[in-house]
This record gives sequence, structure tokens and C-alpha cells, in this order.
Amino acid sequence: MLAAGAVLLALTAAAQDREPYESTYQPRPAADFLIGPVNLLTGAGERLEDVEVLVRQGRIAAVGRSLPRVDVQVFPAQGKWLTPGIIDVHSHLGTYPSPAVRSTSDGNEATDPNTAQVWVEHSVWPQDPQFGHALAGGVTTLHILPGSANLFGGRGVTLKNVPARTVQDMKFPGAPQSLKMACGENPKRVYGENKRAPSTRMGNMAGYRAAWAKAQAYREKQRAHADGDAESPPDRNLQLDTLAAVLDGEILVHNHCYRADEMATMMDLAREFGYRITAFHHAVESYKIADLLAKADICSAMWADWWGFKLEAFDTISQNVALVEAAGACAIVHSDSAQDIQRLNQEAAKALAAARRVGMELSETQAIAWITKNAATALGIADRTGSVEVGKAADLALWNRNPFSIYARAEKVWIDGHLYYDREDPARRPVRDFDLEQTVPGSAP
Amino acid sequence: MNIPASWRILAAAALCALGGSAFADLAVLGGRVYAMTDPEPLAEATVLIADGRIEAIGPDLEVPFDYRQIDARGKIVTPGFIESHSQLGIVEISAEETTVDMAVSEYPLGPAFNVRYALNPASSLFAVNRMDGLTRAMVAPRPGVDPLAGFGALVRLGGGTALVQPEAALFGQVGASAAAFTGGSRAALLQRLIDAFDEAARFSPGRYEPTGADYSRQDMAALKAFLRSGKPLVLEVNRASDILRCVELAQARDLDLILLGGAEAWQVRERLAAAGVKVIVNVHSNLPRSFETLGARMDNAALLRSAGVEVLFTAGNSHNARNLRQLAGNAVAEGMPWHDALEALTRKAALAWGMSDVGILRPGAAADLVVWSGDPLELTSWADQVIIDGQLMPMRSRQTRLFERYKDLKRPYGYH
Repeated sequence: MLAAGAVLLALTAAAQDREPYESTYQPRPAADFLIGPVNLLTGAGERLEDVEVLVRQGRIAAVGRSLPRVDVQVFPAQGKWLTPGIIDVHSHLGTYPSPAVRSTSDGNEATDPNTAQVWVEHSVWPQDPQFGHALAGGVTTLHILPGSANLFGGRGVTLKNVPARTVQDMKFPGAPQSLKMACGENPKRVYGENKRAPSTRMGNMAGYRAAWAKAQAYREKQRAHADGDAESPPDRNLQLDTLAAVLDGEILVHNHCYRADEMATMMDLAREFGYRITAFHHAVESYKIADLLAKADICSAMWADWWGFKLEAFDTISQNVALVEAAGACAIVHSDSAQDIQRLNQEAAKALAAARRVGMELSETQAIAWITKNAATALGIADRTGSVEVGKAADLALWNRNPFSIYARAEKVWIDGHLYYDREDPARRPVRDFDLEQTVPGSAP
Repeated sequence: MNIPASWRILAAAALCALGGSAFADLAVLGGRVYAMTDPEPLAEATVLIADGRIEAIGPDLEVPFDYRQIDARGKIVTPGFIESHSQLGIVEISAEETTVDMAVSEYPLGPAFNVRYALNPASSLFAVNRMDGLTRAMVAPRPGVDPLAGFGALVRLGGGTALVQPEAALFGQVGASAAAFTGGSRAALLQRLIDAFDEAARFSPGRYEPTGADYSRQDMAALKAFLRSGKPLVLEVNRASDILRCVELAQARDLDLILLGGAEAWQVRERLAAAGVKVIVNVHSNLPRSFETLGARMDNAALLRSAGVEVLFTAGNSHNARNLRQLAGNAVAEGMPWHDALEALTRKAALAWGMSDVGILRPGAAADLVVWSGDPLELTSWADQVIIDGQLMPMRSRQTRLFERYKDLKRPYGYH
């Protein structure tokens, strides 16, 4: 019986040649090339002027001067700036796509406060024209999250920003999934208005705690079965599968949470149930507890200046990112917006200028990490992308001037060494199916 | 005015003692001044300000001894920026309806809706936006139950009474959202607007008997007053074909039409230029978010301007109207001439809204100006000093207070 099962499994695997939902991303052919001389912000703390970057087989092969130019295409870029491809840790592209109509609204399974069982990748529409706009802004990797109506919104997914027919073709190979959790106003509003729990912040907490307690029990049963102490595994529960995987450290927690006091309470929740919070998102009050966040090694994903759209966003300050950085905590600038994802470099510039305005000494090398390296760290992919270092993927954005200038535009964008976008070449700009004869420039009516 | 200098010192001292912002005469010294009288800036120029107005401007001006001096050497001086469409003072927290007065729901009020009665100059949004160089704004109603949302007002963000001019323009909307107010079709929507303007032209309260969905007497009286005022009609509209219907409607009635949004305005830019229709552009609205903005693109402002259409800007976000300069900068990066963008933020906006002595630095003009640390369209620059109607604005907001409170977490918490 066991043997037959193994044969069947092997046959199934051979037939499909991959796990269900697994990434089918394939890097496109990439010729070897050299960019330089160019000014370089590596994302890993260095700012180098007039250097060369050599890309071989889709990876950074060397950074230096007078590099060998044998069999490589050369992109001279005097006075231009090279950065790692931009990474957005908070996006809803593909799930709240353009056009934003009833048919396409797939970002929030707002039917129960706990929908840990849903996977946002099952909502992503790869034909969303907004992916192309983000690419024009230098974005090479993006993390798609479910919405924030629920305490547990579901699993998030990290995507390569490539034109593709299937979402599997966009999935970042090997990137961990995430769990979206949400604090504060949204869950209690969505359910409280319908006279359901949660209707208060304490109701939010009770909801998280009940779910984690169930997940712990589920995991104990799974372990008992694995250890041979129990004859059968627990009945499969998709919701608890997600939470158990968090407890096992396989899924990273990305927690929408605005207020400092609520973040501190969520940190205690994580202590109670033994899981790790990777990042707080929309963390407009991180500056109030930057020391606690640094100590707990939790990233803050922040806007440069959004405020006032709800009361928990009333205490935004322009120096939030800077104060988190100065405290030695992990600072990230995110978009949560199909518009702002197109210019995360400008959002980082605002956060940098706000710091300088009050006399804080922050550098461009720190600011570029807010939208590259630190974002990669929070997504668990910093060993592969997010910085221009030998061995990393050639995910690159070439800017026509310093990327913190309002006038800067990404001229070329590479993913794994393939040129996916060229501002100078209309043939090198991705076109989604929806764009055809619709969003492309046409004649007047 | 010929008031002896010594009196002015006493008056200024008295005002300071009363806790008001320094209301002295001012000399802004040595900046590169974009006066908006000429594309070329005045290098190392001085701006003298007396009694709230520009007194003189130029290099080598003699500075009276009692003028308070503002050092602008190495910096850039421009008129204060003007946001052409906001809800400043009629929204505090967007999600808290008790703080929002921008629209009605389930209450039959159309064009007679008037934001002046709801305006709250104590709103925290004023200081936050003022600190980044915004000095005046159009405050507009939003459509709640009717395609004609009502009258907007011009405000200043400091320096005295906030309300500069009530009933400065009539606001409305044409497109899919507005069609929901008229049974779900644009056809009914346009018919309603055509009928309303024609009825209003011959409106007489004693002979008007509204039935059904007709406008009330109050609304018709407001429309009639608007038609007589010559003020602009601002229609939020995006689809090219809808834009053309609006142009026809306005031209037939000789209305001063300004489009808000205008995502596809670039497609009909020659028509707009010929008709003298202005467009308030949200530069960042470049996505096909709906079927009426399929043609949206980042260089809308540049294309319109190159065809001779007057362009104004909106940040489309009252809390962050301060980002107006970011949008202008992006319009420049997409091809709009830099000085044209600066004009759209200042002089052109002032003229579009009927403020002839604002948005320009010349003797006699309102002394609304900003000293910038560098190119005001660069996000790496900031406003060093903001002056409104000759008064130095405190460079302080609720946000700067929060920063001061938390910049050093080692200090005992709670009393600073």
C-alpha cells in the first residue's frame, strides 16, 4: 500500500513536474553586459561614482573600474545613476487592478474576520496594466497582500514584475509566503458595523488569540502524528495550515498596524504564541516606539507623508522613517498605492528631505535601502536581490539622474539581467492585453 | 501709507506682545526671486514688504532700518503656491463623518450648497500644508446627491481671515459617478444640466413650481446668481467625449469653463485651446482606473500646455495638498516647461480664480511668498519661511510638535 502510494506520488510529480501553485518563473534570455561609467547606489551602504557594473548570466559579476569588456554589450551611463531594482513590500496590484470595477475587485475577502485560508495569489490578475507602470518606476519585485478588512487577511505573495500569462510565471522562486494581519480601525469597523465581532480593539485581540490558540493545538496534533504518537493527522484545515506555518517560521507575518500602542500589544501577542512579526505596515507611529522596534528587530513599512484619512493615521510625521532609521531599526518605504508605486524613489526623497530639514544627518545610501535592501530583507529574499553586490540577481534600475531628484526617470530596468523596460524604446515597454487599443495613445473621438 | 517708522515699531511690538505672529514690515534679502512677471528670475534681489503688500522688489534696494530682515541669500523666492481644488477646512479626518462637511447625502441640496458656512480655519490641515509653501486654496464641495455640488470658496492658509472669497466658482461633475444621480445615464445627466441652466436663466421665484426631481427654488436662485456672476463653472470630467459635451454646454451659454481632472483632455486639446477652457490636472492620475480614464497619461499637462491650454494643478488630496509641488515637478519631468509649471502653481491659478493681486511679486501685490531652500519643485528642497499677506507664518504644525516630542525617546514622557 505504502509502495503503491509512493509510485502514485512519483507519477503525479512526473506528470506535473512541480508542486501545485509553485513558481513557474523562468528568467528570460540575458546577454552579458556592462553598465558604466555610472554612479552607483548599491543598496548595501555604498555610494560609488564613475564605476562599472558587470552582469553575467543574469547576475552581478563584478563592480569596479576598468572591468574586462570581452563579449559584453556596453551601456555607457556617464552622469546617470544605477540602483538595485525597487522593491515594494506593500502592493495590491493585480487584486485591485485597473480598471477598478466590480468585476476586478479581488483584494479583500471581507466575509469573516479570519480568512487565513485565502491566498492572494489566487486573486492576482497578471493583465493588470498597473504592473507596467510600476516597472517604469523601476519596480522589479513587489509583495502583494490581501486587504485589511480582516484580523487575518490571508497569505501574501512576492512577485517578479514581469509580463506573464499566469501568476505562477510571476512568482518569485523560493520567496516565502506571508500572512497579512490587520490591527485597529478596519477590522472593527467592517465587522462591528454588522454587529459581529470584532467591534472593538479588545475584540480584535480576542480574535487573534483564539485563532492562535487553535493553531497551536492543530500544530501539536500534526506533530504528534509526525512523531508517531498519534495514528492520524488532524483533519486538514486550510486556515490553520496557514497559522501553523507561521508558528513553524515558514510564513512571515506582515502586520498592518498604525498606532504605537497597538504595535506594542501585537508584540506581546507574538510573545504569547511564539511567532515572529517580520514587519509592521502603515506604521505611521513607529517613531513613538522606534527603540522597542529596534530591540525586537521588527521592520516598519511606512509612507513618507500619508495622514488624516482616518484617526489612526492622524499622528503621521514627515520624520517617521528617519527616526526609525536613526534608532537602528529596519525602515522601509512602501506604497500601498498603484500611483505611488510608480515613484517610490520620490517617496524616499521626501522622507530624506524631512530629516535634513530638521538637521538629522541621513544619507542617500540609507534612503535607497528603504526601497531596496530593507524591503528585500522583510520579504526574505535579501540573499538574492535588493542590492548591487556580486552574486545577486541583476535586478537593476538605471536613472537618467540622481534618483532622489523629482526630474529623475528610470531609463532602463532589468530583471535577472533581462532588459524589461526601456524609456527610449517603445518596443521595450510591456503591454498588457487590456492595454490593446484602449490605453495606448489613440485618435480623438 | 505714511505712518512714521517709530509708530510702526510700536505697533509691531504691541502685536508681538499680544502673541500674534510678527506683523512687522519685512525685507526678504538676496534671494533668487521668481516674481512671475518674467521667466527670468531676479538674482540676489530684495523684496520689501509693508502693510501686507509688496512695496518694492529688485537688487540693491535700500532697506529701512526698522524692517525685519529675512535672509534669503542662496535661496529661491517664489509667490506662495495655490491649490486649485481642495477640501481644506471642510474635512479633518476623512473617515470620521462628524469632521467632514464636503458633501450632503440624502438631503436635497444641489447648486445652493455653499462651503463658506462650514469652513473651519482652525483645521490642522492648514498649518501642515502652509509649512510646505501652500498659501491659498480653492475649497470646493463634492457631489453628494446632485451633479451640481455647489459653490466653492477661496481661502488663505494664514495671515488673517481664512475666507478670501466665497462663491468663487460653481462645481459639478460629469461622468459615470454623476450619472448615478440622474438615473444611471450620462444622457439624462447632460439633459438635466442643460435644462437647469436654461431654466435658471429665466428663473423667477414667484413663477417657479418645482415638481419631482426638479431643482428647488433655493437651487434655482443659486444657479441664477451664478449665471449673473461670471464666475467659473468647474466640471470634473475625464472622458474625451464627455469633455466635448461640457465644452458645448459652456460655449452655448458663454460660461467660463474649467475642467477638473480631464484625464483624456489631451485628446481634445486643440478644441480646449480654441474654446479657452482651462484644465485642473492631477498629474499623478495616469492610470486607466475606470473606463472613462483609459487615455490617462503622465504627460497630460505637458501636452495640454504645448497646445496652448491653460493648466492648473491639484494634488487631489487635501491633507497632502502640500504635494502640489511634487505633481508640478513630475509635470516638468514629463515635458512641461519649468516656468510654466511654476506659473500654474502661482500666477495662472490666481488669475483663473479672479485674484488679480496674488501669485505675482510686484509692488502693490499681496505679500504671499515663500523662501525655499532650493528648487521648489525638488522634493529635496523645503520651505524655509512662508509669508502670507505680509505676515511671517510660524513654521510649526501639529506634526512638528509630535516630532519634537518624540525625537529623543530617552526624555521622560508626557510633559513636553
